[in-house]
Amino acid sequence: MSNREKYDNAFIESFEIKKEALNKGLEYQSIPQWDSVGHMSLVAALEDTFDIMMEMDDIVDFGSYETGIGTLKKYGVDVA
Amino acid sequence: MESFRLSATELLKYQPNRYPFLMIDVVEDVLPGKYARGYKNLTMNEWYFPQHFPDGPNMPGALQLEALAQMLTVAITTQEGLQGKITHALEHKVRFRKEVVPGDKFEIHTEVLSWRRGVCKGKGVGITNGEVACEAVMLITIPEILEQYLPKR
Repeated sequence: MSNREKYDNAFIESFEIKKEALNKGLEYQSIPQWDSVGHMSLVAALEDTFDIMMEMDDIVDFGSYETGIGTLKKYGVDVA
Repeated sequence: MESFRLSATELLKYQPNRYPFLMIDVVEDVLPGKYARGYKNLTMNEWYFPQHFPDGPNMPGALQLEALAQMLTVAITTQEGLQGKITHALEHKVRFRKEVVPGDKFEIHTEVLSWRRGVCKGKGVGITNGEVACEAVMLITIPEILEQYLPKR
């Protein structure tokens, strides 16, 4: 499984959404599932998937499906 | 760190709820960040028994769950720097197995499954007369910690 597929699955499983929902418009609080609890679930899923530990600033900056790709790059995870 | 006991008055430092909503009498054993166990003795004087119900007093399920959540809170707020912090419920899944009635000693056992970034997942069991009365998996948070990790909008 590619990193992109793993990245997508973290969103799909954390928010229980379909692959079609993964787009530039997917942002924090843009859907009911991506609330404060959903955000922590997503971060935990990504940390487990890629075996990383994200810093507080990066968790705060992880505000959308798109920006998250750049955030993971800082941890050596190439999703693009 | 070793576990310790909290008397009815010592408990108040770590659990912000007060009468009539404090659902714990004593914490018999707490290991911060790991578990908390204690009890609530129920007498006919509990404020909810006259209404719930006049012909068959029993402890409301919502309050049984509250007791479990309050005890789980103690397992978190006894950690360094968290004394007296307010917690909020995020998500609970509970199963009720028997009525809890006046005269029962409601024993409360909770365990922290994870504690990360202001969010605690834990499980709890309420026991009367040696039998499970209710059990729950709970998600609680200390909002002032959780909010530090949320994207700004």
